[in-house]
This record gives sequence, structure tokens and C-alpha cells, in this order.
Amino acid sequence: MDKKKILVIEDEAMLQRALSEFLIDENFEVVSAMDGEEGISFAKAKKPDLILLDIVLPKKDGYQVLEEIKNDEKTKKIPVILLTNLESAEDIERAFNAGATTYLVKSNYRLEDVVKKIKETLHI
Amino acid sequence: MQFVNDLDLKKQAKELGVKIWQTPGFLFIILGVITIFVMTVTYFISKNYDSPEFIIISESLVVVIILIIGNSVIRLIDQIIRLNKMKSEFVSVASHQLRTPLSAIKWETELMLSKFKKGLNKKQLINIENIDSLTTRMIKLVNDLLDVARIEQGRMIFKKSPVDLYKIVYEAKEDILPLANARNVEILLNCSKNIPKITSDAGRLKMVVDNLFNNAIKYTTNRGKIEIKLIKKNNSLVFSIKDNGVGIPEEQQGRVFDKFFRSDNIVKYQTEGTGLGLYISKNIIGQLGGEIWFQSVEGLGSIFSFSLPIKN
Repeated sequence: MDKKKILVIEDEAMLQRALSEFLIDENFEVVSAMDGEEGISFAKAKKPDLILLDIVLPKKDGYQVLEEIKNDEKTKKIPVILLTNLESAEDIERAFNAGATTYLVKSNYRLEDVVKKIKETLHI
Repeated sequence: MQFVNDLDLKKQAKELGVKIWQTPGFLFIILGVITIFVMTVTYFISKNYDSPEFIIISESLVVVIILIIGNSVIRLIDQIIRLNKMKSEFVSVASHQLRTPLSAIKWETELMLSKFKKGLNKKQLINIENIDSLTTRMIKLVNDLLDVARIEQGRMIFKKSPVDLYKIVYEAKEDILPLANARNVEILLNCSKNIPKITSDAGRLKMVVDNLFNNAIKYTTNRGKIEIKLIKKNNSLVFSIKDNGVGIPEEQQGRVFDKFFRSDNIVKYQTEGTGLGLYISKNIIGQLGGEIWFQSVEGLGSIFSFSLPIKN
């Protein structure tokens, strides 16, 4: 089976590294974006199978990224998992209204559980 | 009851962090005393002098005094509200900021355990597993503090849907079995058939049930026994969890649901615990229209119970 490509949009270098490393070990191909704008351009150019998206990001925040991805014919079908440390009811509602597939709070999920959610979403 | 509490100025001053003469309760009493005093003086003056100027002057004096004291009461209350808001906002912001490094530690530790476990010796493995469990504990504390801030700001949101309480209880029991086995504690689940679904918030109820399970196991020493009951009683569901653990000293039982409360005897058994679990649980059950209570005898054990209305 082909390796699935995951776009990780996360500005915290350590979190980005830990996520990428774990995903690579789990046999995924990883594309890393360190800010919102880079995230949008990589989503269009690299055609990932799934996007992991933080909310608090430089240049463009997670909501803007989500909106642009969902408004573009080429990228709107890519499932987006929000992975953030915000968890107010408003944040969660806003994310789902904007088209997020799943919403995970970073500190409450182990990497293993994040991967489980990714596999569930991709049906693998 | 509230009136009597309002009159306990020492307690009020301590809670608000001001001197006794600055408490709203004291200022209101002074306001009353001065008003009565000046009124009496006015009465005697007007009786003896029979002059409208005197009455007008003394009445104006009363109004001025009332305004001055009233104003300082309002300013004090205003200040307290502002400080409270700042405190809650500080807790929310600090907690969110803490979560990022905490997630990073948690993930790095997990990565290390998943990649290099085989290369570690027993001692190193214990060190890293300790870091892992301490990080989890710290995250739990941050989550609890955020919940407390939400409760105090009235921002805790409840999402109601049909809830199968039996399922929540059963799953909580399954989740806690490894810990119970490790501590040699037996769990008995006693549920009547046909527990109806209720309209409630499943996620929040799970927090309450998990908290009560955890407490029961945490404060039960070896060879403990925990009995869980879930029954339908009139128009309510009643959940109870009985342990034969350390119990709560009688003189401290009134403070069990207070924020940050931990009884003297449990601090000796268990250093772990924030004293926030039951405070949060009580607020959740209250907001969901139910009640929470307990019975306890030090050295024999405790029974914690809550009830929830079937039709809400």
C-alpha cells in the first residue's frame, strides 16, 4: 500500500518534530508547515491525504487556513484534524462549522492516540 | 442563612482580603447606625428649635453621609469584581500557556519510550515512566484549574443529549480495573435492570463518575472492596459508590466539596490529588439539576452518591 501523506501545520518546533518523527515511524510520509500561509500553499501543492492543523499560528491562524482549504475545489475534500490546546466550546464549534473532521486537544492525547484518529479518518 | 453569613465580618474580611472596617457588611451596618443617629439628632433639633433651616441642613448632612459611605461600598464591590475577573482570566491564560510545553514533554517522553525502550535499563525505564506519569498529573491539574476558572466565570457549557448512565458507569469501571488490580481492590457493580436514559451531558458526567471511582480507589488501602450501585428511585437515577477506605474525619466533613480541600488523614496516605475533583463534581451535578452527597466514618470508609432527574 502507498504511504499516506500527512501535512502537519504546527509552529512549535518541538511539537512539530515529535509529531513528524512519530508519524514517520508509523510509516506515513510527512510534510511540515511552520505557519498558516505555508500550510495553505503546501495543502495546494503537495496534495496531502490528511492535514493536522493547529489553531494558534503565525501569519494566518488555523481558522483562516481551514476556511481557505475548504473553499478551494482542489483541497476541500482533504480531511482536516484540528490539533490544538484551545478547547473552549466556541473554538470547537467554530472549527466544526468551518469543516473540521475531528478536534483533538493536544495535551489530552498521546501521539499513539493521534495516530489512531488519523487511521480511523483515513479508514486504514 | 445567607443573612447570618453576611454578618460574619471576620470571615468576609478574610475571604475578600480586606480589613474588617472595609467589608461591605460592616459599612452597611455603619450606614444604618449613622442614619438612625442623625435622624434622631435631627428629630431633637427640630423639636427644640422649630426652624426649617435646621431641618434642611441636618437632612442634607444625612444624605451626604449616606452618599459617601454608599459610594465607598460600591467602589469596594467594583474592585472585588474586577480582581476576581482578573484572577480567572489569569488562570485561563496561564493554563493554556502551560499546556504547550506540557504537551511537548508528554510527546517527547512517549517518543523516547516507543523508540528506545529496548536500549534502556530498568532504572532508566523507571525514570522515564515517572516523568511520563508526572506530566500526566500536571496536565490533569491544569485541566482542573481551567474547569474551576470556567465554573467561576459561569462559562462551563453543558451539551445535553440522551445519556446512558449505566454505560458511563460500566466503562469507567473497565477503565479503572488495571489500577484496582494493582492496588488489590475488588470492584462490585450492582445495577438494577432497565435504567432509563436521561437528558444530560455525557462528557461531564463521565468526569464526575471517573473522579468518584478514582477517589474510592486512591483512598482505599490494600484488600479493599468497592461497591457501586445504580438504581432508579422515583423520578431520579441514584448512583452510589461505597468504599472501605480511610474515610473522612467528622470535623472536616463540612468542607469536603470546598475548593482545594484535602482532609488531614488523606494527605498522609496520598500526596497526589489537587482537592479540585469534588468541587468540580458538585458544580457539574448541580448544573445538571441533581444533587451530590456522602456519608463517611473515619477508618471505615465512605459512600458518595449523586442523583439526577430522569426528566429534565
